[in-house]
Amino acid sequence: MNEVFFNVDAGYLEGIVRGYRDGLITAPQYLNLTQCETMDDLKLQLATTDYASFLQNEPSPLATSTLSARCTEALVAEFQYMQQNAAEPISKFLDYITYGYMIDNVILLITGTLHERDTHDLLEKCHPLGFFDTMPALCVATTVQDLYSTVLVDSPLAGYFRECLSAEDLNELNIEIIRNTLYKAYLEDFYSYCQTLGEPTASVMAELLNFEADRRTVNITINSFGTELSKDERAKLYPRLGNMYPEAQTKLARVDDMDQVKAILEQYSEYKSMLIGVSMNVSSSSSGGNNAELSLEDRFFAREVQLNKDSFEQQFHFGVFYSWLRLKEQEIRNIVWIAECISQQQKDKINNYTAIY
Amino acid sequence: MAAVRDNVFPTRMNLTVTKARLKGAQTGHSLLKRKSEALTTRFRVIVRKIEDAKLKMGKVMQNASFSLAEVAYITGDISYQVRESAKRATFKVSAKQENVSGVLLPAFEPDMQAGSQFELTGLGRGGQQIQKARAVYIKAVETLVELASLQTAFVILDEVIKLTNRRVNAIEYVIIPRIENTISYINSELDEQDREEFYRLKKIQGKKKDRAAAAAAAQNELDELAKLSIQDGNLHSEIGLSEDQSAARNILAEQVDEDIIF
Amino acid sequence: MAAATHKERTLIAAIGDEDTVTGLLLAGIGDIDIHQRPNFLVVDAKTTQEQIEETFTAFTKRKDIAIILINQHVAEVIRGILDEYNAAFPTVLEIPSKDHPYDPSKDSVLKRVQLLFGD
Repeated sequence: MNEVFFNVDAGYLEGIVRGYRDGLITAPQYLNLTQCETMDDLKLQLATTDYASFLQNEPSPLATSTLSARCTEALVAEFQYMQQNAAEPISKFLDYITYGYMIDNVILLITGTLHERDTHDLLEKCHPLGFFDTMPALCVATTVQDLYSTVLVDSPLAGYFRECLSAEDLNELNIEIIRNTLYKAYLEDFYSYCQTLGEPTASVMAELLNFEADRRTVNITINSFGTELSKDERAKLYPRLGNMYPEAQTKLARVDDMDQVKAILEQYSEYKSMLIGVSMNVSSSSSGGNNAELSLEDRFFAREVQLNKDSFEQQFHFGVFYSWLRLKEQEIRNIVWIAECISQQQKDKINNYTAIY
Repeated sequence: MAAVRDNVFPTRMNLTVTKARLKGAQTGHSLLKRKSEALTTRFRVIVRKIEDAKLKMGKVMQNASFSLAEVAYITGDISYQVRESAKRATFKVSAKQENVSGVLLPAFEPDMQAGSQFELTGLGRGGQQIQKARAVYIKAVETLVELASLQTAFVILDEVIKLTNRRVNAIEYVIIPRIENTISYINSELDEQDREEFYRLKKIQGKKKDRAAAAAAAQNELDELAKLSIQDGNLHSEIGLSEDQSAARNILAEQVDEDIIF
Repeated sequence: MAAATHKERTLIAAIGDEDTVTGLLLAGIGDIDIHQRPNFLVVDAKTTQEQIEETFTAFTKRKDIAIILINQHVAEVIRGILDEYNAAFPTVLEIPSKDHPYDPSKDSVLKRVQLLFGD
């Protein structure tokens, strides 16, 4: 039944987002970008893309950090346009997407407050998509306690904080653990929200979020090898969803090296293929060596892009908004990567980006 | 320019002392000169190494910043996080010393402490890349530390060489000439004294001669007077005088005999 | 230059752009002392010349810093002070940054090298 009324509220935005998707840089354009010799060339090439208007007033030479900032601005502008035109329930869905950025911002602010930094400076560093109304009020908060009781409780993230953290934890816990705990709560919440939206959004988003959860699970596992993070704490950071929940997660919580992770991943057909080229990488990265091979992260990126592209194949669901944002982010990463390669004269690695179309 | 010299009394004693000082200065000069040469050799080696290391550093740092770009690709911007989590340095340097011709050259050595403040950074995403970048940067900083010790050695050696060269030059162009001047001054003064002494002796001799001549003249006068009296016809007195003379001769002869007896 | 003075010098300080400082901090050189003074400074478009000069002078006066790493393009800004600075401790090292490849001809120390050998 959803399909019948979908276009009443979401038809316009879906049209917009599919239009945006067509604006994504395509393979021939990437080819042109990688051929550039200087940053000015790159700027010229980007003038044919959606980023043109954001880059035209930048003076040469263009720094990669500026490029990245301008591209993000372009992304934010497009996203905000959609937010402004959104009605319930899309607006709520879009809000959910921004919560992920909010977590990063809040973590940033907590870190800054812990070290008594000027909060005005911090606001500039926050991701614009993760802004929430009470954030400017943070300038008043000087201690973490203040921050917790005056600002965070009013933010959309309050629920996640309440569930897993007390004000004392903010002082004591490692900031990365806080970040991952919040993110876990966010993913779970987002997932259950998507399930209330009905088909086909629920199934499309389930696939995307399951993947996200699995990726986090694997990453947390791999990255916690040889750190002070205990196995129990590690298990607590796994989002309680995903293809690997709960069975493989309990196994992953116990492993000590990459080979065991691989053995577990091989039981899942969708991840088995990813690991084929990575086997080399595992041994070399554990010895800290430099590898030109694609890393597991790159595989995950490729997989993510694939999933997000797939979500455009279906109509009448909200997953396209999420997917578009992810693809756009990947595109910005690609552009910045190419720009870094050009400006640092590392042309041999320039093709390590993850192509989208 | 008036020759500079030490303010000493021109005596033979001081001449000996000053000559000893000259010898000392010359030995010191050759020693310092050799030290300066040894240091300069070392210095040139270091300079060459610095030039190499600086160029190498360019490459190393480029690699390192590229690894950071890889992190940025996977993880996003971590700089703020990294900056805020810095608390205590885990990468420090310790200094040890090396002795080159009596100059203590410090050499820095990387002093790594186990553990990292960043091991949980990028836990959810890109942790591997961050650790990789960290390894690359640690290598880069090691190179930088090596370069820094070379550079410190360079600065210190530069200073010591300048100091030594200043000393060498001071000895060569100031102290040695001054001592030499002093020696020649003492010599000339001593010569002068000798000449004065000689002149004085000459003068005394001259005076003696004059006096002898005057005495002889007085005698002559006396003789003249005697002659005049003879001319007056006083024969007696002439005989008496000649008797006196013969008596005097006898006495002289007796004295000579006595001498022989002695 | 006595042994005791540089035995306590163990820190590496850094003045540079965001990426350089981040990388160096990642290697573990970062340190905040008991007076809450960091041993690094991030120079961006908003950092004034006075700030850099002040920080640099402060670093040179600290007794626990052995090496000061400074980005060459930042060094250019305070070239006057750098050229005058010739103490052995702490050692000032000019390092390249991401966007500014290393140029040996601008290096204060290398300039002195060339001066000494007259070429």
